[in-house]
Amino acid sequence: MTYNIAMVCDFFFPQPGGVESHIYQLSTKLIDRGHKVIVITHAYEGRTGVRYLTNGLKVYHVPFFVLYRETTFPTVFSFFPIFRNIIIRESVEIVHGHASLSSFCHEAILHARTMGLRTVFTDHSLFGFADAASILTNKLLKFTLSDVDHVICVSHTCKENTVLRASLDPLMVSVIPNAVVAENFRPLAHQEHVTSPVDGRPLHHSLRPHDTITIVVISRLFYNKGTDLLIAAIPRICAAHPYVRFIIAGSGPKAIDVEQMLERNVLQDRVDMLGPVRHEEVRDVMVRGHIYLHPSLTEAFGTVIVEAASCGLYVVCTRVGGIPEVLPPHMTTFAKPEEDDLVAATSKAIAALRQGRLETGRFHEQVRTMYSWTDVAERTERVYDGISGVLSEEEFYGSSTGEGWSAARGRAGVQSFALIDRLKRYYGCGIWAGKLFCLCVVIDYLIFVFLELWAPRDRIDAVRDWPRKPPLRESSSATNAAIGLGRKRSARYRDQGWEG
Amino acid sequence: MTPYEGLPAKSPAKFPVSGSRKAQILDPSRLAPEDAFYAQSPPRGRRAPSPLGLGLGVGGNGTPKAKGRAGEARRKRTKDRGRSSSRRRKGAWKKLLWVKQSYPDNYTDEYTFLDHLQRNPRLQPYEFWRLVADSTVIVQHVCSVIIFVCCFTGIFQERVSPVTVVGWSSSGTVLGWILWDFWVGQEERAQKMVEEAEASSIEGEDGSSASSATSASVPMREKDAVGIPYANGNAAASSGGPGISPGISLAVGHPTGAPTFASYSHLPPYGDQTSSLSPRTQQRIATIKSAILIYCALLGLSPILKSLTKSTTSDSIWAISAWLMGINVAFFDYGGGGGANSDVTRYRFPASLSTNAALMASTVLASRLSSTTHVFSLTLFSIEVFGLFPVFRRHLRHVSWRANTVLSFLLVVAAGGAIGVTVSGGRWTAAIVGSVLGSMLIVLAMGICSWWLIGLQKYKNEIHGPWDPARPIIRRRWD
Repeated sequence: MTYNIAMVCDFFFPQPGGVESHIYQLSTKLIDRGHKVIVITHAYEGRTGVRYLTNGLKVYHVPFFVLYRETTFPTVFSFFPIFRNIIIRESVEIVHGHASLSSFCHEAILHARTMGLRTVFTDHSLFGFADAASILTNKLLKFTLSDVDHVICVSHTCKENTVLRASLDPLMVSVIPNAVVAENFRPLAHQEHVTSPVDGRPLHHSLRPHDTITIVVISRLFYNKGTDLLIAAIPRICAAHPYVRFIIAGSGPKAIDVEQMLERNVLQDRVDMLGPVRHEEVRDVMVRGHIYLHPSLTEAFGTVIVEAASCGLYVVCTRVGGIPEVLPPHMTTFAKPEEDDLVAATSKAIAALRQGRLETGRFHEQVRTMYSWTDVAERTERVYDGISGVLSEEEFYGSSTGEGWSAARGRAGVQSFALIDRLKRYYGCGIWAGKLFCLCVVIDYLIFVFLELWAPRDRIDAVRDWPRKPPLRESSSATNAAIGLGRKRSARYRDQGWEG
Repeated sequence: MTPYEGLPAKSPAKFPVSGSRKAQILDPSRLAPEDAFYAQSPPRGRRAPSPLGLGLGVGGNGTPKAKGRAGEARRKRTKDRGRSSSRRRKGAWKKLLWVKQSYPDNYTDEYTFLDHLQRNPRLQPYEFWRLVADSTVIVQHVCSVIIFVCCFTGIFQERVSPVTVVGWSSSGTVLGWILWDFWVGQEERAQKMVEEAEASSIEGEDGSSASSATSASVPMREKDAVGIPYANGNAAASSGGPGISPGISLAVGHPTGAPTFASYSHLPPYGDQTSSLSPRTQQRIATIKSAILIYCALLGLSPILKSLTKSTTSDSIWAISAWLMGINVAFFDYGGGGGANSDVTRYRFPASLSTNAALMASTVLASRLSSTTHVFSLTLFSIEVFGLFPVFRRHLRHVSWRANTVLSFLLVVAAGGAIGVTVSGGRWTAAIVGSVLGSMLIVLAMGICSWWLIGLQKYKNEIHGPWDPARPIIRRRWD
């Protein structure tokens, strides 16, 4: 069974970023598996209307008022008419929203439920519970996720966070990690040839004591990326290890602090600041180093450390958020988010590298087997199966379904579209918020009824589909073959670039 | 070793299913945030039957063995799923993403789910008497504001001579300064002794930690030990260069009400100077110099201050000064230095806001007075009350609790009396009535507010977990 899926998010190409590439990669792989996928986002500068990307991925750039950092202004209802039009035109069955700061996505989920569609939400980030912005976002998230069929989180920590923020049933939340396109993050080619004649093991990291070790840092230089830790640690690492160099790529408000630190400690010749690099160039920067340092203070998944490991770098990172789940212990050293501990961990990594105890040459292959978008698409497809009733409820949720679950907390796949059931779910959101949310939902429904009269369905033309690929469904025995095939195909399509 | 690998093994100990808890279970498979809130025991203790039905058939309160068997059954059930490729056929679920596991993606492991959730981790239960004692800070400040207002009213209504007021307050200030100076000396001596003791203990500590640390980190530690005094010396040299600068910084530090005290006694720059006078004496001279400077400046400025807002109507003046006094009370730095929180509050609401508001209020009020002497007296009085008195109070609190209590009591009585006199129009019996009433009222308010605050504390619900942005711990040595 194949689906017509609409990915809705504020953040999409041409803006670079993790969420954007997640949506793109996932969509491409879903198309490879025979589904029809469209992306709905707001209009970017010079990019309005309908566009096609590689692989027949259709993107709707809806003109909308952008409030702050590419997030649209949250007008609860104004997106509905055009959204309904797109959904009917494309005969979408599943609406998949991304990113909790995207008001586009929240609106889309609300309207989709009003229209009687299945909805999925993917959360890419972590939020605290203390500051005012988080409280507001959490309330909004609770509103939207009161009536959603399934939620996908990128790490287990993220799942715990989302479950707490939106008071969800944990079984309604799946953990599907991000992935990397391993082919784009190969280590340097010549390393493959430098193997020991004796046992055939790679030799390239038997560094002599005076060979320079390069530590790479690629991150936006923001407070929450741990730039303060970096600023504190670099002089100490440089002082302790005379044959260590740094490469720092990325820009941000803290860049000036980094430069000041360099000047104060006269480290300009040992620390290279590259400024912002494009995502395509990240690999070329990474392969210049031996160790990747990631001092972030909060991170839901940390795709960049997977990319670094894929490039054959040993990863030193802080033990925060979902990071401890991401890489196996032999690829990483964890540090507490403290200056002293970060320095100690880096020193340990340098020492290990000098003694040749790390087999970084095999990281790439290992990472490739761990994370692939094909796998992500397959797992997402199972979520779609589960919510649309292809998988039985028991198979999807386990055998103890339903008991003690009221309509107010109904489960996906069995969740009713009836307005009164939906209202019950929203009403539980809070003393005041519940009533407000109910009001919003009722108005949304009235708008829907009005739109049905004003612009009847049969007046909206259905579009012709891009030629679909034959459905690629796994049979239980041939999973590995399917993954292999998918990977080959993906490699081919990737080479054509983002835009068709 | 990842942090999560060891957890399932530990879990049986943390898995009590007591009757009373079970009774609370309304909905066994529900996992709402409240699950984490209610019990001191880990949340999963309350939902014995697994949401996935793992423990349901196999004797609800899942010992690890039962869980293992259930996992087995589960795996059989899900074997036909494609992704169970599973190089690792271990039964236990791991909180890892890089391992291909034979569990569905929405599997919720009841042993590790929300394992790292902390609720109110830094909760300090309030104690009644401590709260009452701490509330004296607020009471003192409010009382001094009341006294100031009453003094102004007295001066304005020509019932009190402004020179009397400023004379009394100035002599009080001088007395306070002498006391303060004495304490500074005491503290400096104590500080020196502590530093000496610390220096010796740091050496010992450094040696032991260096021996336990890895070989790589040893050179850095040695560098630390060398680096710290060097950096300190640098700071000292830069800030203590010209002879006048400490005095000026002191004079500036006073009226802001900022906790000049701690930083002031920390810095040893005065020792660097090659003067015949001792650093303490120099300091005193500088203070006296700045005091005289302020005095003269005020003398010169008071005619200007007098006419500054003369053209504004009295109604506006009363309203403005009331607002400014309110700002002063609201934004006053009650934290009092020391403690981790005070830093944060100091950055967010600079203490100077409160002081400036008060001084501005007095400036505005001064325009209603009749002569330059009046204006001068009122402004000087306000500097003493809002600039210097808080510094003294703050330090008094550090030095002696008893003196603090006595001062609070005196202030409360004085404020009550002042209100009585002002309201009644100058009768002394009213002052007594006022002070008795005022002190009773304030004691009552302190008690009720403290009790109320303790009552409110049970609604405190802070959730912390691995998703919170970590707080980096950085030694501020490179600034």
